[in-house]
Amino acid sequence: MLSEKEQPILCIRDLNVWYGDDQILSSFSFEVQQKQVTAFIGPANCGKSTLIRCINRLNDFIPNFKSTGEILFKGVHLDASTDTTALRKQIGMVFRRPVLFQCSIYENVAYGARISGISQSAHLDTVVEKNLRKTGLWGEVENILDETPEQLSRGQQQLLCIARALAVEPEVLIFDEPCGELDPIETVKIETLVRDLKDNCTLIFATNKRRQAARVSDVAGFLYGGELIEFGATEKIFTNPQDNRTEQYVTGRLG
Amino acid sequence: MNSKTTRAERKQKIVLQSIAFVILGVAFILIWNGLIKTRVISRQTVSTAPLPNAMPNSLFSDLYLVLLMSFLAILFGIACAFYLEEWLPKTNWIRRLVESLVAILTGIPSLLFGILAIGIFFSYAGTLKMIGGSPVPQNAEAIPFQHDITLFYAEALTFILMVMPVTIRTTQGALRSVETPIREAAYVLGASKWQVLMRQVMPLAFTRILAGGCRAMSRAFAAAALLIGIYTWHYTTESGEMPGRFILFLSGALFLSVLSSTLIETHRSSRRNTVNLPR
Repeated sequence: MLSEKEQPILCIRDLNVWYGDDQILSSFSFEVQQKQVTAFIGPANCGKSTLIRCINRLNDFIPNFKSTGEILFKGVHLDASTDTTALRKQIGMVFRRPVLFQCSIYENVAYGARISGISQSAHLDTVVEKNLRKTGLWGEVENILDETPEQLSRGQQQLLCIARALAVEPEVLIFDEPCGELDPIETVKIETLVRDLKDNCTLIFATNKRRQAARVSDVAGFLYGGELIEFGATEKIFTNPQDNRTEQYVTGRLG
Repeated sequence: MNSKTTRAERKQKIVLQSIAFVILGVAFILIWNGLIKTRVISRQTVSTAPLPNAMPNSLFSDLYLVLLMSFLAILFGIACAFYLEEWLPKTNWIRRLVESLVAILTGIPSLLFGILAIGIFFSYAGTLKMIGGSPVPQNAEAIPFQHDITLFYAEALTFILMVMPVTIRTTQGALRSVETPIREAAYVLGASKWQVLMRQVMPLAFTRILAGGCRAMSRAFAAAALLIGIYTWHYTTESGEMPGRFILFLSGALFLSVLSSTLIETHRSSRRNTVNLPR
């Protein structure tokens, strides 16, 4: 019998995605293991965002979106009849641009708890403090919890977004180029955090910086032109790629 | 997890139903009051008898009509805009039709609305009056809602036609101004559609929706031209002076122009539908 660690949390089989008549992704098949960082690399417009947005069914809002194939989350088939609110509480997401709500820092972090119907202030206080500490933001915002997050820097805002996503206690956390608009120092903070988070949840990471993927991930997939060219251990992808295009991308000659 | 979502859904259903009931209740009370008011404050006093308080009476009854109708039309308009923008997909033909009709109706000046009202509603109202027995009977107390009530309804319908498009358009604009990333940021935290609407969209869009309501109200208040048109027609036809056929032609032309521009607009908007896709 397989131990829990070895069972894939997410299993994608022959996934095809179209926007109208444009095929964005063609025949994707891979498995994401629990408590690992899985990175997807590839040049811009290669389908990274579409792929990871399929996992939490965020593409459902797009008109003309259609897909074939199977996505299994913990062995359960995801389709149009899935309860998306419950699903998205288990699969969190952080975007490229930090989007914070027009309320205090405290309320931003407490959002997930509030929409689940929790309103006892003692419980909310612990949720907020715990998650801000996890992201290492507690010391910086401890005294300004009731103020709006606009005064924070970009990196702090992104960390706050991560704290907000963590407060829902997701099993899988998806990052869609989280450092795309950050400076190197802030990027280092996020990368360290990502490596720390690995112990508690499964992470999926989309980026177009190859070195970043090499630094943070355990497993990597290379996307090019809507196809999954190669998928395997990060070390292997970066040191001994099987496909010619992967080698060209990793060494910087492609994309 | 499952029981929680169904509870949320149940709550949502109850809220929606209670809103509908409140609107209906308010509408019923106001219309009933209006019915009584039109009997009490007879409009005939303006044209026939120089009573001492005829002027304020008719002024207040008009004000009452304007307030009542814009209130109802604004509420319905906002509800309609929410449904169109949040629930119907962009490619839905009903949505395209309503949006293009709204685009045209917002552009029509209020005087033309007066003519439209005469052409469509008042020919009907006039028929009613003849069935009821024109001219006004000696014993007006015996038949309370003689023709003032049809007049009231015709005006009310015209006001709804004027105010609703403006409300729908501004509310839609307000809802659209709340950017997709903000909605998505809430959705990925597991918020339901209702929670996103209430917690993210409403606070950001509220001021603009309010402004739209004010704009629609101002349009309703500026509808003096419409009232003048209706009253002129109403009281001159009684003495047989108004060229009714001319009005009929005019309203026919207006209707046709509206229809044709609707078709053009529908065609154009069907080609214009482009969306930004995430890659």
